[in-house]
Amino acid sequence: MAELGDTMKARTLWGVIPLLAPVQLLLLSVIIIPSIYVIWLSFHVSSFGQSATFVGWDNYIRVITDPAFHSALINTVIIVVVAVHLELLVALGVALLFNSGLKFRRLLLVAVLAPYAVSEVIAVAMWRFLFDMDVGPVTQALQALGLPILEWGYDPMHAMIMIALLTIWMHLPFTFIILYAARLALPSDLYEAARIDGATAWQSFRRITIPLMGPAILVALLFRYIFAFRLFSEVWLMTQGGPARSTEVVAVYLYQEAFSYNAFGTAAATAWIMVIVSLLLASGYIYLLRRQVNANAK
Amino acid sequence: MTSQLKLTRRGFLAGTAAVGALSLAGPSFAASKTLNILSHRVHQTSLGEGDADAMKDWKAANDAELNWTTFDSNPLMDRLFREASLSSTDFSVGYMVDNRPTSEIAKLFEPLGPWLEKDGIEEFDDIAPGLVQGMTVDGNLIGIPVRTATQALFYNEARLEEVGISAPPTTIEELVEQARKVTESGKATGMILASDLAVFPVMFARAYGGDFINKDFELLPNKEAMEKGLTTLADMFKDGSLPKSYATTKNDDQVTWMQQGRAAFTVLPFARAAQLNNAEQSKYPGKIKAIGFPGSKDSTVPMASVVEAWAMVIPANAKDKELAWSFIKEVSSKKNTLVMALNGNGPARVSTFGEAELTAKNPLAAVEAEVLAQARGAFPPFPEAARAQALFLEEVQLAVLGRKTPAEAVAAIESRVAPLLPS
Repeated sequence: MAELGDTMKARTLWGVIPLLAPVQLLLLSVIIIPSIYVIWLSFHVSSFGQSATFVGWDNYIRVITDPAFHSALINTVIIVVVAVHLELLVALGVALLFNSGLKFRRLLLVAVLAPYAVSEVIAVAMWRFLFDMDVGPVTQALQALGLPILEWGYDPMHAMIMIALLTIWMHLPFTFIILYAARLALPSDLYEAARIDGATAWQSFRRITIPLMGPAILVALLFRYIFAFRLFSEVWLMTQGGPARSTEVVAVYLYQEAFSYNAFGTAAATAWIMVIVSLLLASGYIYLLRRQVNANAK
Repeated sequence: MTSQLKLTRRGFLAGTAAVGALSLAGPSFAASKTLNILSHRVHQTSLGEGDADAMKDWKAANDAELNWTTFDSNPLMDRLFREASLSSTDFSVGYMVDNRPTSEIAKLFEPLGPWLEKDGIEEFDDIAPGLVQGMTVDGNLIGIPVRTATQALFYNEARLEEVGISAPPTTIEELVEQARKVTESGKATGMILASDLAVFPVMFARAYGGDFINKDFELLPNKEAMEKGLTTLADMFKDGSLPKSYATTKNDDQVTWMQQGRAAFTVLPFARAAQLNNAEQSKYPGKIKAIGFPGSKDSTVPMASVVEAWAMVIPANAKDKELAWSFIKEVSSKKNTLVMALNGNGPARVSTFGEAELTAKNPLAAVEAEVLAQARGAFPPFPEAARAQALFLEEVQLAVLGRKTPAEAVAAIESRVAPLLPS
């Protein structure tokens, strides 16, 4: 009987393999094999017209000791930490505002989601025009109000602020939609019970909304950390890493190594360093947040 | 009476067979060969399209179609080298810029000397020898020059007249003075330059007799001249003659600023004259003129403008080299060089500049020929050239924005770029 069961299991397994194979082959060909190739490449010096030469850890040492990489890494961490958290706060605020019962909710929902429908290239071109330091409408409006303008083409700090604002604007719909869906799913009787018990709005928010939305916040943060760490198009199209490489981020550094300097070995090493740093950055934060969510749930 | 569309199995099979047969017969109406070309869009358009297609007769004679795949300059080079690194490629012709062919890169492309000997190009000696030399690596000719982009100083005549300037500058000192005058008038910015290309600081250094890296791979052959060039740029930035957005200005911005009259001067290839004066795009059609970039009144070295040249190459792994060479021969002919020049392409043949048809249509042809005679590339090709350019530009930006003195920037260029040069 046991033998028959084993045969059945084996038959079932052989029957299932052809059904699973396409997905497994796809994963193997587009993720696993390229990843292994990039690991192999990261230990070689390689460029067009020359065969790859094994150099051990040299590429990693070269990248890690390069001052331009340090600067790119610091810029990336600053933008990731500032932009992701600010974006989360804004998205949470907007989600709660929508939930509180706004007029013209559908129209406003379209307005909030619109940046996600705009191509990144067009969005950056639009921002470059709006914030042009001489004739941009936003610049002129700020000047007319007697406010300081964003000198993003000249001052590295202003350029970083501009990139952070742009990335928040572009990705707000993603964070917002996750948080808004999570808020809509919260049962209203909990709030009703809290109100009967005499809880203030702030207490309801702290004791009900935040703990129950914790998992959604966690998911939004996790994805945004991963997306933000590979930030490229906003920087490349807006400042190209300038002025004088002061806004360069790790993805731009990688792009330059691979496609401007054709140094595929150092580019591959940079890619793996990026993966490791982004995992460390995200995992540490998520561990802390999870602990907090679990503690609140008890 | 009712009609009913009834699809039977037999009918369906017969229909499918008929469609299949038609689709197989289809290619018999098209050319039997296709030549795949990797280029910039400008290379394709300069040969004309539709009825004005300069390759019409060649296509008919060779029963071939041209399939162009076009990219911007850097992605084009990346794709071309990538294709040439494969075991074989469908692209039989590529366009390569002259600051890329290093010894390693040259190995990926077909040596064209034997092809030239077997089936020569019409009056090959007429193609500027300096350009041919630029595509000769380790004794092998790997590309046939087809396009030059010689940098000119463009000025908006109307903007200059508004501030009482009746003639363009003849020295760099006059240029700086005129740019300042325009800026002070508040009507426009003196000059607009992109900050992501070595061309511009190299031109300013050459105006004082200096250079970035010369053809003998000598880094900063005249440091004092480079320092003067950077000081001039930094002073122009400080007094507003260069806009505050200098560090993020791109090549396209230069064109739009000039077309809109937002700047009085810029440096662009002569071939841009038509675009800058296009009545549909420009607020100053016919008013944007060009001259050679002026040298310093104190310099004893003639001003050498920057020229970028493009050449046609055949990847060594290409499938149809015969057809590729035939195409290159045809495009390089005197007739087609003139056609391309009339369409705005900087000619690679010396004689084309003197063609009456061109001089009648393009009044700048004579000036361009004169500037081209002295011009040379921004820097010679070597494996780390792109990285060297990036470091150079970083230091230039720091000097222009006032975050380093020009002397500090020059010292940094020397120490950072020297290890990258070929030994």
